[in-house]
Amino acid sequence: METTTDEEREAKIVELEAAAASEIEYVSYGGEHHLPLIMNLVDQELSEPYSIFTYRYFVYLWPQLSFLAFHKGKCVGTVVCKMGEHRNTFRGYIAMLVVLKPYRGRGIATELVTRSIKVMMESGCEEVTLEAEVTNKGALALYGRLGFIRAKRLFRYYLNGVDAFRLKLLFPRPELHSPQLTRATGDESGWHKDSRQTEENPFLL
Amino acid sequence: MAEKVGVEGDRDVKVPNLNPSSITSGEQTVWADVSPLLESACKDLQDGELVHGENFNLFAAMSALEIMDPKMDSGIVCRYYSVDEAIENGAAPVPLSFDKTIDVQCTIDIMDHLLACEATWHKGHSLAQTVYSCIYLQRPDRTSSHALLHSYCRVIRATCNSVVSVVSETRTHEEEDLFTMAYGLPLKGDGDEKNLSMLHAVEETISRQLRACKAPSSKKRLVEDVEPLQTNLDLEEGYCKSLLCRLRFRKHFYHVLTCMRRPQGRGLELARKHIASCLLELDSILKSAEFLGSNNACETSLDGIEGRTTASGRQPIGFDSTLNNRLAAPTPPRAIKILSWKKAVEYFQKLLHDLDIICSYSLDPLFEGVLRFVVEFQKFQPDLVARAHLQLLLLQEGKLYGRDPVFAMICKAAVLPEVTKSHDIQKNESVVQLVQLVISLLRILCTNAAWQRRKLGKIVQDWRVIYLQLELAFRKEFGEISSTSIDENVCIKISKHILNWVEEQTYWIASRFLMLGFELELYSPCEYCMVYWYIYVVLIKLAEKTHLKMLTSNEIAKRKGKKKRESLKDAARDYQIPPVVLLLQCQIYLAEGLTMMLAALRNEHKVFQSLGPFNTEHERFIQHFEFLQRACIPDHVSYLSFKESTNHARLSTIVVYNCFKDAQRIAKELRSSFSNDRDRMVELRQIEQVAEHNGVALNLVCRLGTLDPSLKVYFEFSHHPYFATAVVKRS
Repeated sequence: METTTDEEREAKIVELEAAAASEIEYVSYGGEHHLPLIMNLVDQELSEPYSIFTYRYFVYLWPQLSFLAFHKGKCVGTVVCKMGEHRNTFRGYIAMLVVLKPYRGRGIATELVTRSIKVMMESGCEEVTLEAEVTNKGALALYGRLGFIRAKRLFRYYLNGVDAFRLKLLFPRPELHSPQLTRATGDESGWHKDSRQTEENPFLL
Repeated sequence: MAEKVGVEGDRDVKVPNLNPSSITSGEQTVWADVSPLLESACKDLQDGELVHGENFNLFAAMSALEIMDPKMDSGIVCRYYSVDEAIENGAAPVPLSFDKTIDVQCTIDIMDHLLACEATWHKGHSLAQTVYSCIYLQRPDRTSSHALLHSYCRVIRATCNSVVSVVSETRTHEEEDLFTMAYGLPLKGDGDEKNLSMLHAVEETISRQLRACKAPSSKKRLVEDVEPLQTNLDLEEGYCKSLLCRLRFRKHFYHVLTCMRRPQGRGLELARKHIASCLLELDSILKSAEFLGSNNACETSLDGIEGRTTASGRQPIGFDSTLNNRLAAPTPPRAIKILSWKKAVEYFQKLLHDLDIICSYSLDPLFEGVLRFVVEFQKFQPDLVARAHLQLLLLQEGKLYGRDPVFAMICKAAVLPEVTKSHDIQKNESVVQLVQLVISLLRILCTNAAWQRRKLGKIVQDWRVIYLQLELAFRKEFGEISSTSIDENVCIKISKHILNWVEEQTYWIASRFLMLGFELELYSPCEYCMVYWYIYVVLIKLAEKTHLKMLTSNEIAKRKGKKKRESLKDAARDYQIPPVVLLLQCQIYLAEGLTMMLAALRNEHKVFQSLGPFNTEHERFIQHFEFLQRACIPDHVSYLSFKESTNHARLSTIVVYNCFKDAQRIAKELRSSFSNDRDRMVELRQIEQVAEHNGVALNLVCRLGTLDPSLKVYFEFSHHPYFATAVVKRS
């Protein structure tokens, strides 16, 4: 039997990863057929239980902020977000970010979340926020690299009793920009028949 | 498409099975069958659509439940529909067994599991799903024939009740609101107030049984009338002892809580005695595990030794954690992992130690002393129950320790002339507000670190505002007094002293706000530079105000107690800076040293930089110091001034003007001034260590940095909770 050294094995893994990374395909949320994929991923990987209403709330109002990552036809990661007025600031919010365990460490999450943040920035958001478990070192490092600060600690925030950090990314004030940027709210979405969606409550549990 | 039926608002939607004819239609209403309407409406709906009210928002979406999803549906039936059904099914028999030995074993298991539940509750889970998962507690009357179990359940209820009331009174549980929610659970059984006398009677009986079984056979006859606890005489001593320590622990613990509630800290001394007894009994409880474990026929439980919730390792009878799931609204059922029995005992040991610190406090009448005590106490990271008791002691009826009026305390702290205490100034609206702010500050300092920091960030602005208001108020009030008045001198003094004191507190709050960020791990290494810089500028202001205050107090002391010649002699000493200010100076040097070291590393070695694709360091600065910047704390400080003072930092320069050396030197000199103050001696030693390590690291990086590119610098908090120690390593 052939034996491989650690170095060779490592080199092989790197090679495979590089190949895999290039094979990842990113898609913006495209409709009902994507919903079960997102729900499956989140259900598997996140501790919080979400009802179907929560998923639809996000993907119907802000389909442009949700992305999916596919590897050879299999959905391996997703990001779900929203944006809206919050205490006089127009703010983006990253609600869920999931990448399947075997696919982590290849920049898929960074790519997913970067795509969402870009759309938020172009839509006139002043800042982006989210919560992450204090024990989730991977996520904290990822958001740190993107420029998020840990604005506060939320004591026993999650149902499982773990503290959270509220992370915030402040965009530079666009001094030369016109403030009348197109603000994509969810008004034109198809979810709400004959009713306007008013964004009043912040995303709080 | 079941998911299309939204459940809004009231989640407890009841569908009454009423005969329509039983409710008569009103004048303008008639009964009609809506089925056809609903059917046609269903055909109109496309996949993914929802009929909902205008107020259906994210909160409503998040609150919606999916029926029969075990992650969300807390109403899902697990084993029993109700407590009564559980009892009917024999889930909580009384007695636990007709075999007296087994009955005693099982009772001890219940006691142990209840202790684990109680600790889990204190740690932030709901009462309903922890302590009250015990079916015996739910029906107080059922246990009356079982004196041992009955008395134990009573003292548990009374204890829970006492803890709930302290926490609700002090409201230290801001984010831990689950704690006090009792959901109509029977927290008070009839006669629970007599719990101690009952407990005492049971304890007496078991003590006699223990004496009887230990008595040598010659004396046996004398005590023969005592019926043994159970039937296996070889185990009699072990069971008696195991029960006694458990009962006595409950008794003393209840006493601790009662004593600590006495007004003006009058019960603290007695509470300490009970705390000591509690700790002794806990030791005995721990020791009893050996005996109880060895008599466990079915050996290891599924959870393994570490996870078990009883000393014996058996599963207790009479608990069902799913029974109260429905009481846990408005959240989905929380997955509760009851602490292990060992962890529970450890929790109570910690709690008792924390309470002991409170009880041994000298009720310092000086405000600074109070602040320092609370800050030192918080270093032990006390849990909710201990923090609630601290606040209960500090503030009763709006007075410090329920004893000293807050205004009098301010007068003393701000070194105001004696006349101020009775001066009309305390009726001034702004002064009344200041008193309220002081009370709020003390309250905030008793909350958990995360909440505390957020509240400090807000209250620091209120302190800034009150400063401006007071300034105006004094000008108005004292301006009216004619300049020839004798009062004038006093008034000017009062206003100057109060204003200086308010500023001092404001900077103290700001520094605590900044430093708590380290404890909460809010800063990343690339932000340390700006954080230390901010700490540096705030501490300078704080030292300035403290120094000014102390100069005034020296002046007063001098005038009071000394003759002219003596005061001349002391002139030299008067110029010395007070030790408290020098201690601040040490911290200032450390903060400055760290700022410059980090800035130089960044400027020359391109490390600890914050580079992100979306923003710059400027945005990080705005976000971290938003609260302070908004309140102009300190004045004229901005990102620009931070950049100006750090942009030119070079290792070669800062190594010559080495702040760490200064910090170390002053810290050494200060030792003699604080030799009687344990906390400050600890602080001094920590400062010395940080200063020494960083001084060495700085030299090393400066000498080798450019020669050896593999040299890596990182920071850790191995010597001081807020001031980082630099570690240099070859990668």
